[in-house]
Amino acid sequence: MKKLCVMLMLAVFAFCAVSGMAEDRYLGVMLGTNVMSLDTNLATDGDSFEVIANCIDGLLQMDADGAAVPAIAESYDLSADGLTYTFHLRDTKWSNGDPVTANDFVFAWRRIAKEAGEYAYMLDEIGNIKGAAEIISKKTDDLTTLGVSAPDDKTFVVELNVPVSFFPSLMYFPTFYPINEKFYSSLEEGTYGTSPATFLSNGAFILEDYTPGTANLSVKKNADYWDAARVQLAGIKYQVVGSSDNALTAFRTGALDVVMISGNQVAAAEKDASLAQNLKVTGAGYMWYLSFSQTEKNAQGGKLANANLRLAITNAIDRDNLVDNYVMDGSLATYTAVPPQFAASSTTGKDFSADQEMFADYVGYDPEKALAYFEKAKEELGTDTFEFTMVYGNNEGDEVAKVAQAIKEDVEDALPGLTINLQPMTKAERLDKMQNDNYDIALTRWGPDYADPMTYLGMWVTNNSNNYGFWSNAEYDQLIADCTTGAYITDYDARWDAMYKAETLVLQEAVIAPLYTKANANLIVNGAENIQFHPVALNRVYKDTVLK
Amino acid sequence: MTKKIEQTAAPAAPYIPKKEDFVLLEHRDIHTDANFASQSYWKGVITHFFKNRRAVVGLVIITVILLLAVFGPVLNAYGYRDIVQYRNEKNKRVVAKGIAPQIPVLHRILTGEELEGNFAGYTFLFGTDDLGRDLWTRTWYGARVSLLIAFVTIIIDMIIGMSYGLISGYFGGIVDQLMQRFVEIANSVPRLVIVSVLAIFMPKGMGLVIVALLLTEWIGMSKIARAEMLKIKEQEYVLASRTLGARNGHIIFKEILPNTIGPIITQVMFSIPTAIFTEAFLSFVGVGIVLPQCSVGTLIEDGFNNITTLPYQILPPIFVLALLMLGFNFIGDGLREALAPKLEDM
Amino acid sequence: MTKYILKRLGMALLTLLIITFLLFLLVRIMPGNPFPSERMSDEQIANKRAEMGLDDPILTQFIRYMGNVLHGDFGKGTSLYNGAPIKTVLSTAISNSFRIGGMAILLGTAVGLLLGITAALNRGKFLDGFCTVFSILGVCVPSYVFLIFLQYTFSFKIPFFPYFFDNTRFAFSAVIPSISLSLFTMSTIARFTRNEMVEVFDSDYVRLAESKGMYGRDLVMKHVLRNALIPIVTVLAPLVVDLLTGALVVEKIYGINGIGKLMVDAIAGEGIDYNYVLALGILYSALYIGIMLLVDLLYGVLDPRIRVSAKGEEA
Repeated sequence: MKKLCVMLMLAVFAFCAVSGMAEDRYLGVMLGTNVMSLDTNLATDGDSFEVIANCIDGLLQMDADGAAVPAIAESYDLSADGLTYTFHLRDTKWSNGDPVTANDFVFAWRRIAKEAGEYAYMLDEIGNIKGAAEIISKKTDDLTTLGVSAPDDKTFVVELNVPVSFFPSLMYFPTFYPINEKFYSSLEEGTYGTSPATFLSNGAFILEDYTPGTANLSVKKNADYWDAARVQLAGIKYQVVGSSDNALTAFRTGALDVVMISGNQVAAAEKDASLAQNLKVTGAGYMWYLSFSQTEKNAQGGKLANANLRLAITNAIDRDNLVDNYVMDGSLATYTAVPPQFAASSTTGKDFSADQEMFADYVGYDPEKALAYFEKAKEELGTDTFEFTMVYGNNEGDEVAKVAQAIKEDVEDALPGLTINLQPMTKAERLDKMQNDNYDIALTRWGPDYADPMTYLGMWVTNNSNNYGFWSNAEYDQLIADCTTGAYITDYDARWDAMYKAETLVLQEAVIAPLYTKANANLIVNGAENIQFHPVALNRVYKDTVLK
Repeated sequence: MTKKIEQTAAPAAPYIPKKEDFVLLEHRDIHTDANFASQSYWKGVITHFFKNRRAVVGLVIITVILLLAVFGPVLNAYGYRDIVQYRNEKNKRVVAKGIAPQIPVLHRILTGEELEGNFAGYTFLFGTDDLGRDLWTRTWYGARVSLLIAFVTIIIDMIIGMSYGLISGYFGGIVDQLMQRFVEIANSVPRLVIVSVLAIFMPKGMGLVIVALLLTEWIGMSKIARAEMLKIKEQEYVLASRTLGARNGHIIFKEILPNTIGPIITQVMFSIPTAIFTEAFLSFVGVGIVLPQCSVGTLIEDGFNNITTLPYQILPPIFVLALLMLGFNFIGDGLREALAPKLEDM
Repeated sequence: MTKYILKRLGMALLTLLIITFLLFLLVRIMPGNPFPSERMSDEQIANKRAEMGLDDPILTQFIRYMGNVLHGDFGKGTSLYNGAPIKTVLSTAISNSFRIGGMAILLGTAVGLLLGITAALNRGKFLDGFCTVFSILGVCVPSYVFLIFLQYTFSFKIPFFPYFFDNTRFAFSAVIPSISLSLFTMSTIARFTRNEMVEVFDSDYVRLAESKGMYGRDLVMKHVLRNALIPIVTVLAPLVVDLLTGALVVEKIYGINGIGKLMVDAIAGEGIDYNYVLALGILYSALYIGIMLLVDLLYGVLDPRIRVSAKGEEA
């Protein structure tokens, strides 16, 4: 028995030694949640998108600043009317040796439209691709009516209904990635992307080890990648980590090289000199905000339809306190309806929401002003006491419950007579409640799908499925329509101004109360450099990453 | 099958006694109650119980926890939902979050130095939580909820679980079959599913937690009671009672129950922590108590989020729970010995 | 006896059918969407529901579902791992949870029995007190706290075991989660064994055996333990089911792809995945019913006087 133990131990050490060899060391990266799917039609979460993008290149890719630069498409032309994009593909290969052709894109895009999943809206509502809306809403079965075509193997043509100024930047979003049709059809139905054998890559990495539901997976370098010289990493080993505390220890043991921490663990890392140098805060893109239901059936007979009451609440919340004391991961207190740091003007290069003071008249922390609004609201509504329920998802991050409690304390302090009852629930139930308009106040979030303010502003149009407050304003609807399909689509700066006007409308009535823009506090091991972090679409890109 | 049973029940081979075999008896605690005959059963139980030192210690522990649960939060300047904070000169809020246990006076005496930090002058016996609330107050506040859960569990176990199991085991046959199939159904629907559905019809909160416990918490006890019943009901004295015409209720609760009390008490004790953690889980998914309220279970879960960074956060609630269990176990042991006096006590 | 077992198996199938139907109804009442979405239009969601047949009468749906299940087809997830057939995802999870849970059961039972016997034999002495405190801590401290402690000590301070679960080195990486999961079982078994044995020691017939000259190990094994085993088996049975079907937090922290996490993700992820809840529900119920049958049969073996089967049923 003793002998066996010794031998076992020796074997283990030998194993450790082999796996620890420097030249082929994989980068150990933490994932916050399990990869839900590697099928671009089914994937809906950032972690899945990240892994897909490691393995598959789209027409264009992101550069370090988030701009769209050539990938599979060497170049593209835009017709004079702004309606037709012609992409010229370079010679690239799938990992089974097949060439990547324009038809792979046609096939993949048609499939997205036909399956009409979560992100199909990128084709019709956002990309405004000809024929997409009809297929997605099942008005037609004829997939050839989708405005995509492949005149030859190396040319891919997309036709749009209206000019879309940010269309090239959509091309790096996984929804628009190609799928090898021949390979896909050869698989048993429903097995695409469920194992390395059923998944093809044309990108920087090849899927090495994966089963659906797994907590760890790995990708290895693709030697046949068209830009193989650029890729330095031997591979990436992903590990799902369930808590921030565990992530911190995993980083300290060396089990992982890149982890995300939050709250107290950030505070601990900042205090520890050996860890502080590894800390890097990056924008995560999504904004947390309060949604107020304005319908009759909620909030004591629609009390929250009163704009002054909503303004009172939004001015009673100390956002600096939220981010400094409770979120603690470098998140930014936010006072605009479009969060900062993801949408820069292509003419001036200025971030759309760089100026957080812009709406200081309506959103801020000023208990006296809040009380003044509250007095007005009390007068208008003819009552002194209000009792609302605030719903939030308890499985959406450690900080959410803390933020909810801090908001409750702030608002109840500033507005005597108003009570906020907290109601934690699962995310599934929160979404259900919001979608069925069965809530008073909700603590919710939205992440940008593409680098344009419209990814937020589009939400508050009358009858939009994300307009959870059921606010309706004809002027606003007109402004947004002009920006997406109407007068402003060809005039970039005028469109930009119109969007500010729209944002003002949202905030002066406090349709929502913006809270903070989430950041990620990453710990990155010494020697790992050039990981690209982006707030939109792909959170982390490893094509340039070096691990010394 | 029958053959095999006979084999295993065959008499043992002759055993040659060794010297050390005799040690056991010498150490056995033989005590004789001179007044036994003159006392009533319950009076005997009580006398017996209080003569048991461990049982008394258990009683003291539970009493102290009860007292602290009632008065602990009041002994402190901070309420369970008060965030200890102030504004600094830049008008930024400074919150006393994540502070380790500190007693400034004691610190001065022990080290001769003053505490450092923004809240150096404050006394936090158990430290503070992530929001800057005093953990002493919250621990004892949470103990109230968990004590309630503990007592509810005891009642559910003793009333529903025990009767269900005893009846099922006693009658056997088709009654047993049906009752056991019902247990299987009740136990197999995931708790989260049933509670979410219940939450549609009744308000979330403590009431719902108790209903959730009522639905499944008795099952473990019923299984134990049934097993004991199956074991005992074939014994001679039961047969004798039945022949003498005793009614079923009398046989079950008067004749058999006292003889099953041992495992039943052990089961009650061990179902308490499970119930306390069930409450914490239900609260986490939003059907139990609602923040800023807390229970021992939710405090343990909150502390777990920072277990290596701020380990002191998880210690007080675990300590309270362990003490609670120790107390209950001592009482349980004492009760068992008191309720079923053996020959040696006569 | 065979007749009795067959009859029980028949009843088990019926019970399973009732449970499945109940679950089938309940998941549909629960708040939450099988197609959770923030971007799909109502029309798109309606189309998806229609494709899944969710608009059909409930009985039609149930019969169709049971038909598929009988062919071994549990369908696909709608919100969880929605690309892959449930069978694929579940088989890995079952294999992980069963192996880790199985190790925890063996360890917990063996050590628990040993501890309990030792404590009973040393009643009132130090070892007995130690056993009491150990079992109380074992049930008060959640298994995931033990997990963190073991992980911190034996993967971080003394880096011997892997920090996360690694399927390619199963035996090695299963040690820490198995030990942490076994502690609750260990404590419960230890406590029950101790209390039961003490009670049996005091009983008249052990006195009788003693007076007949039976002592020591023989007495303990032959009579005392055997008589104490009935409550022990009873408490062990549900623990076995729980351990085999995984533990959420331990799986989450140690990165194990297991059943416990799958169940909670299915109910409380982005939406409610009907197919996963049902598949996991059937798995859990089948295990529970099976083990309860086994326990009833074991009673007869442990104590021949016990007849669970009704009169006349015995062969």
